[in-house]
Amino acid sequence: MPAPLVEFLQFLFSGITSGAIYALVALGFALIYNASHVINFAQGEFVMLGGMVTWALLSQGIDLPLAIAGAVALTMVVGLALEKLAIEPARNADVVTLIIITIGAGIFLRGLTSVTLGKDLHALPSFSGDEPLSLLGATIMPQSLWILGVTAGIVVLLHGFFNYTLLGKAILATSHNRLAARLVGINVSFVLLLSFGLSALLGAVAGILIAPITATHFEVGIMLGLKGFAAAILGGLGNGVGAIVGGLLLGLIESLGAGYISSDYKDAMAFVVILGVLFFMPSGLFGRRGTERV
Amino acid sequence: MSLLRVENLSIQFGGVRAIQDLDFTIDPGTVHSIIGPNGAGKTTLFNLITGVYRPTTGAIYLDDQPVTGRRPNELARMGMSRTFQNLQIMMNMTALENVMVGRHLHLNRNLLACLLRLPAITRGDRTARKRCIELMERVGLGGYINAEAGAMPYGALKRLEIARALAAEPTLLLLDEPAAGLNARETKEIDEVIVAVARAGVTVVLVEHDMKLVMGISDHILVLDYGRKLAEGTPEEVRNNPAVIAAYLGNV
Amino acid sequence: MADIRPSGYSKHRKPQTYSRRLGTRATPAQVLLSERVGGMLTLLVVIAVLPLLLTNNYQYDVVVNIGINAIVVVGLNLLIGYAGQISLGHAGFFALGAYASAILTTRYGLHGALALPLGALGVGLLAYVIARPILRLSGHYLAMATLGVGLIINIVISREAWLTGGPDGMYVPAIEVWGFELYGGPVWYWIVAAVLVLAVWLSLNLIDSPAGRALRALHGASVAAEVAGVDTTRYKVMVFVLSAVMASVAGSLAAHFSEFVTPDKASFFHSILFVTMVVFGGMASTFGALVGAAVLTLLPQLLADFASYEHMILGLIMMVVMIFMPKGLVPTLSGLARRRRARS
Repeated sequence: MPAPLVEFLQFLFSGITSGAIYALVALGFALIYNASHVINFAQGEFVMLGGMVTWALLSQGIDLPLAIAGAVALTMVVGLALEKLAIEPARNADVVTLIIITIGAGIFLRGLTSVTLGKDLHALPSFSGDEPLSLLGATIMPQSLWILGVTAGIVVLLHGFFNYTLLGKAILATSHNRLAARLVGINVSFVLLLSFGLSALLGAVAGILIAPITATHFEVGIMLGLKGFAAAILGGLGNGVGAIVGGLLLGLIESLGAGYISSDYKDAMAFVVILGVLFFMPSGLFGRRGTERV
Repeated sequence: MSLLRVENLSIQFGGVRAIQDLDFTIDPGTVHSIIGPNGAGKTTLFNLITGVYRPTTGAIYLDDQPVTGRRPNELARMGMSRTFQNLQIMMNMTALENVMVGRHLHLNRNLLACLLRLPAITRGDRTARKRCIELMERVGLGGYINAEAGAMPYGALKRLEIARALAAEPTLLLLDEPAAGLNARETKEIDEVIVAVARAGVTVVLVEHDMKLVMGISDHILVLDYGRKLAEGTPEEVRNNPAVIAAYLGNV
Repeated sequence: MADIRPSGYSKHRKPQTYSRRLGTRATPAQVLLSERVGGMLTLLVVIAVLPLLLTNNYQYDVVVNIGINAIVVVGLNLLIGYAGQISLGHAGFFALGAYASAILTTRYGLHGALALPLGALGVGLLAYVIARPILRLSGHYLAMATLGVGLIINIVISREAWLTGGPDGMYVPAIEVWGFELYGGPVWYWIVAAVLVLAVWLSLNLIDSPAGRALRALHGASVAAEVAGVDTTRYKVMVFVLSAVMASVAGSLAAHFSEFVTPDKASFFHSILFVTMVVFGGMASTFGALVGAAVLTLLPQLLADFASYEHMILGLIMMVVMIFMPKGLVPTLSGLARRRRARS
C-alpha cells in the first residue's frame, strides 16, 4: 500500500472509533429529546460515570465484566434519579430553565465524583490486550474493534427495540404526540423515565468503551457531552439515524482535520463544520423542516 | 382596478394540495367573504395572501404590484393587516402593548433614539397609547387596558387581535373567523366594528362561519371547497347557487 | 419545535377575570414610571451606600466583579429574556473584548480608553456578520450554534499564543488618565458602577420603546409581529449585536481591572454562568438580571469555605432554584408579594 493511503486509513480508523463514541452519546441526547423535548446537558456525566465507576470497582479487586455491569447499573440509577427528582418536577418550565437544571445536575455529578473518587486521571485496561492489529497496512487497536462492535450491536438492538417491541413503539408514539399517546393508554411518565434510563446506559457504555484509549477523569464528560450534542444536532435533533451519522461524521472530520490541516484546531474543526451545515440546513442533515401553523 | 388579485394560486404540503389553481380579485372598499366547510383551505389562503406561506405556484398582486413570496412585514408596509383564527397574542405583554405593536410602522423605531429615550419617542408613544386605548374601547376591551394578555379570557383575546390589526390602520384587513367562540352579544359588537371599518373605506376580507354575519355585510363572497373555487358572486348569487347549496349550505 | 416560551405563559393557566376597576387602576405610564424611576433610584442608592460597607480589597474585588457580570447579564437578558433567543456563547464576546484591550494596549501601545471602544466595535461587527445566519435557527439549534461560536473563540484564543499568550493568559496594563493610574477596587468600583447604571438605563429605555416592544413581540408571537410590520430578522440581529457589544465592554473593563486575562474567560462554563444569571434572577426583568449577577457571583465566594464540596453545592442550588422557581428569583418573589398584598 502506498504510504499516503496507509496514512489516510489510519486517520479513518481513528475517526470512526471516536465517531462511534460520539454516536452513542448523540443517541442518548436523541432518546431523551424525543421522549421529553429536553436537551440533557448532563449526558456527558453519564459517560464520565461509566468510566470512573468501572475504574473504582476494578480498583476494589472486582473483575472487569462485573465492574462494567456495576458501573452501567449505577449510571442508570443516576439517570432515573435525575428524571424523577429534577426533570419531572420541572415539566412545564421554559427550555432555558430545563437546560440550566441539567447543567446544574452535571456540575453536581462532577462535584460528587471528584469528592468520592478523586480528581486523578485513570486508565482502564483494554478489554483484549494492547497488541495492535494490522489492517491493510494500517494498524488498529483491539479496543477500537470492541468500540465498533459494541456500537453496532447497540444500534441493531435499538432498531429492534423501537420497531418490534410494544415498549419501543410506545416511546416513539410519545415523541410524536404526547397527548395522543396518553389517550391510547401509554404511561407517559414511565416512558420518560425509561428514556433517561436508556440514555444513561448508552452514555455509560460509551464511557467504559473509550476509557482504555483516552483514560477517564471526573471532567471527561464535558467535552464528550458537547461533542455528542453537536453530533445529535448535526444529524437532526431526535433522529436516530441522524445521531449515528452525525457522530461518525464528527469523528471523521476531527480525525482527518487534525491529520491533514492542523492538530491544534482538532476540537474547533467539528464546530466550524456544524456552523457551516446549520447555515444551509437549519434543522441538521436529517431533521424535519416544520411549517409553522398559525 | 383591483386591490388584490390572485392568479392560478396553489400550495402543496407533502402530497396534500391545500389550495388549487385559485383565481379571484378583490375590489377596493368592499367587504369580501371567503366561506367553505372546515378544511376547505380558507386559513391557508389567508396565510398565502399575507406572506406567511409561500405558494407552490401562482402569483399574488397587491395594487397591481407582484408581491408573491414577500414577507408579512413587507406586505404590512403596503397596508395589509390581519387577525389569526388560532390566536397569535403576545402573552408576554400587556393587552395595551399588544395593540401598540400594531402601530409599529407608524412609530419612530430608530434604535439609538429608543435607547436614549429621546423626547420624540416619548411623545410618539404617548399619542400611540391614547389612540390604542380608544381602539380597545371601541372593540369592547375598555376593562382590559393594563391586563396581562396571558390572563385574559378567550373572547377578549379575539377582540384584542382585531384591535391590534386595526391599530396598523390598514387599507386591506383580513379577519380570520373574528366571531368564532363569541356569544351572540359579542358577535353583534364585532359585527358593528367590521361594518364601521368597512364604511370608513378599509377593504375587508372575512373568513367566517356565521352565515348571518357573512350574508349581512358582504359585497362579494368566494366559496371554497377542497382548496378549489366552488362559486363566487354577491350574497344573493351565492345563496342561490345550486352547487353551493348542495355542497355547503345544504348541510347546515 | 422547542422554543423559549414567553414568561408569564403557562399551558395550564386558570381563567381569570379582570374587573374594570383593576384594569383602570393605573395607567401604564404610572406603572412603568414606578419600575423605571423607582428601580433606578434603588440602584443608585445601593451603589452610593455600598462603599460604606466595604472594608477590604477582597470585598471590593467581589463587588466590582458583580458589577462587571451585571453589565453582561443586562445585555444578555435583552437577548434571552425579552427577545427569546438563547445564546450559550456570550463568554466568547466577553473574552474578545478583554483580549482586544489586552492586545491593543500591550502590543500596539494604544491607550486603554481607546482600546475599549475599538474592541467593542470589532465585536459588534463580528456579531453582526454571524448574527444573520445564526438567528435563522431556533431553539436547541440556536443553542448549538452559539455554543459553537463561543467554543471556537475559546480555542482560537488558547492556540494563538504569539498574540494572546496562549493558555497562560496575558498581562494587561492599567489605564492611565492624566498621569493617574486607574488601579484598585475603590477606583474601579465607581467606573464599573457608572457603566452599569448606563447599561441599566439604556436597557430600561429600550424595553419600553417601539423597538423594545418589537423585540418582545417577536418572542411572544413571531408571526403576529411580522404581520404588524416588524422585521423580525433585523430586530434579532440588532439585539444580538447590542448584547455582544455590552459583553465586550464588560470584558474590557474586567481585563483592565484584574490586569490579567486568560482563555477561560471564553469557556463554555463562563457562558453558562452568564445565562444562569439571567434565568436565576428572572428572565425579562432588568433588575432580575442584577440580582442574578449578584447572587451567582457571590455564591462561589461563599461556598469557598466548603472546599471540595463547592461544586456539588453550586450544582444543587442551581437545580433546586430552577425547579422551585422556574421563573427566577425576582419575578417569583414579586409575584408572591403581589398575591399577599391582594389577599390582605
